[in-house]
Amino acid sequence: MTRSNFISHPLSRRQVLKGSAALGLGSAMGLSPAWANPWGRTNVYSKGVEEGPEVSLAIRRESIPIDGQEASAFSINGTSPGPLIRLKEGQDAVLRVTNLLDESTSIHWHGLILPPEMDGVPGVSFAGIEPGETFTYRFPVRQNGTYWYHSHSGMQEQLGHVGPLIIDAAEREPFRYDREHVLLLTDWTFEDPMSVFRNLKTMEGYYNFQERTIADFFADVRQNGLTPTVEMRSMWAKMRMSSRDIADVTGSTYTYLLNGHSPEENWNALYKPGERVRLRVINGSAMSYFDVRIPGLKLTVVAADGQPVQPVPVDEFRIGVAETYDVLVSPEDDQAYTIFAESMDRSGYARATLAPREGMQAETPDRRQIADRGMEAMSVHMDGMDHSGMSNMQGMDHSGMSNMDGMDHSNMEGMDHSAMSGMSGMGHPTGMTGEQRNTLANGMLASGEAQPGSRYGQVGIGIDPNERRVLVYRDLKAFTPWPDRREPGRELELHLTGNMERYMWSFDGKKFSEVTGPIHFEKDERLRLILINDTMMEHPIHLHGMWMELENGQGELIPRKHTLNIKPGERVSALITADAEGSWAFHCHLLYHMDAGMFRVVQVS
Amino acid sequence: MRTNYLMLGLLTISLSALTFTAWAAGQHEDSQHSANNAEADRTISVEAGDMWFDPEDIQVTAGETIRFEIINNGSLEHEFVIGDKAAQEEHRIMMQEMSGGHGDAHGGHGGHDMAEGEHGGQMPSITIGAGETKTLVWTAPSNVESLEYACNIPGHYESGMYGDINF
Repeated sequence: MTRSNFISHPLSRRQVLKGSAALGLGSAMGLSPAWANPWGRTNVYSKGVEEGPEVSLAIRRESIPIDGQEASAFSINGTSPGPLIRLKEGQDAVLRVTNLLDESTSIHWHGLILPPEMDGVPGVSFAGIEPGETFTYRFPVRQNGTYWYHSHSGMQEQLGHVGPLIIDAAEREPFRYDREHVLLLTDWTFEDPMSVFRNLKTMEGYYNFQERTIADFFADVRQNGLTPTVEMRSMWAKMRMSSRDIADVTGSTYTYLLNGHSPEENWNALYKPGERVRLRVINGSAMSYFDVRIPGLKLTVVAADGQPVQPVPVDEFRIGVAETYDVLVSPEDDQAYTIFAESMDRSGYARATLAPREGMQAETPDRRQIADRGMEAMSVHMDGMDHSGMSNMQGMDHSGMSNMDGMDHSNMEGMDHSAMSGMSGMGHPTGMTGEQRNTLANGMLASGEAQPGSRYGQVGIGIDPNERRVLVYRDLKAFTPWPDRREPGRELELHLTGNMERYMWSFDGKKFSEVTGPIHFEKDERLRLILINDTMMEHPIHLHGMWMELENGQGELIPRKHTLNIKPGERVSALITADAEGSWAFHCHLLYHMDAGMFRVVQVS
Repeated sequence: MRTNYLMLGLLTISLSALTFTAWAAGQHEDSQHSANNAEADRTISVEAGDMWFDPEDIQVTAGETIRFEIINNGSLEHEFVIGDKAAQEEHRIMMQEMSGGHGDAHGGHGGHDMAEGEHGGQMPSITIGAGETKTLVWTAPSNVESLEYACNIPGHYESGMYGDINF
């Protein structure tokens, strides 16, 4: 076969054969969306997949069962989460969204490059869709891969107003597979999201049952000695945080769902032994990061945020809110495998089963211990500490610190820690073993270089990198350089700031309601955005309308993403080509952080 | 290995001797990276892309000598290794270990000894840079039913970069 044959047949011959073989299953599928179909993608028509280019979506509020209980969810064409929207690269999409609610709504097409008035953010892109109205989104589809869509109105996203969005590639993708499944992760609450928000604002640690107690204090003193313990405590007190605030909304209210199903419902993703299965994993949660693994199977990561990356075989990966990863698995044996998505704070998990037949299940792994931010704080705080005190730390869990071997602490002086009064010394550079960084004549780092203060080689809190091979940002590497090869003309620094006790979240200390104007990008400029996380929580930062090329040290092969996870104390940079004229949303994708004020408008003009 | 082979040869004289010769010839050509058309029964052109081979399978007859012409049309370096499934997997695990953890999946490639295949020979292999075309002459052994050609650079095989050699 020649290359041109492949362009006209993006699915391999094997895939087509598998598809037609599954035709007989059509009648059994009923009304369930095809992405929820246990046999995955086939050529079968199913009411639950909305194939482009023309799609109509009706938004309702209705009572549907979730985890066996009646729930009042937002539905899209009768399902919650919504149906899979399937477009093709090169199409002109026409997406009609009808509001059958008694409140305003919207849909944002997360990760898509499109005209600003089609981006779906009320107050920024358009006015929103009022009750009874239909809004028609029209845009050319200029990319391919795994994305998702969700409401950008109020807190509708928390109650199921989300769905997967897949764009099939016009040309052959850099991998082949026999079957695919979408795995959409969400966090469901039976509470009213407004009352969740109120609880967070008025009572610190409302959903956090893992606060340190006086007994913990004495245990700490026994292990660490009195002085380090008191120092750590006062550090947390200054930040108005508890060291166990891994997530601010937890499994105490959340039921973690996979394709809308609870762990007990055990949704089955079917395969035939010997097949290579593409899993399109989407974190459509409001607030929850997940650590995803399938015990017994290697996961080969082939795309991040819809964009192909050079394949990375791993055992586990962490997926921040709003990120997507495509992974390939090759189950050879006729057995069930547990798809295990553990929430980062270990308060619960989503679970499904990859199985050759329906109704199977495998062992569910034990959840790991709750991590303690104290360890992470110490790992980024070491230059300020008396290292002799470390000898008292035997018996403590050093897992969060194992990446620190061979660090050159002398490099840490001279960093800007001014914003971190309680925690001078936060953030240590990636690969601090004295490696040289390329700098430009103007003193800025060359494109693609990792910033001092980045930790792209670390997964983050609660993961022991020596236990299994876990994906880190530094692994992500594009196949070819992105089109704009210019060095950045300037750097724009933004601090991620917050006060946990008062539940205030912001950029540069100013809530969205307090800022006077948008962040300005010069049309067509090439700039470097530097994000410095002054808080002790992870934040998934999302820029609408333009890609962010994550400077993870991979030089001209840096990956591009729509959402960047910034770890506590970390300094992360991305290159942006400001080619999308108009106003765009830029925000933390933790829903309650965005609503609390961690939101800005970027204006390109 | 050679000794084992000769001892085996004593038991089944004609067949084993033929096999040994075939493997030896193949290896000689591989290590020289030379391509002698006169010795090959036919040429098979294989396109290597990111991350696939085209064709995905080939049919061979035991004992025939094939000149593979491998064209790398991808953006990355690839290898073309012939061996059975188990030996390929062994080679893959080794390459993953050599690439050492994070971020530089391709760093460990090159200069290593191939794991030996199940059938007595080293696995014939060749590395092709992006945009390059290389040839490899190989004689199909007579004591196997199926083999694979594969790229074992970490993640490449897992993405589907292999093909079946059917006898």
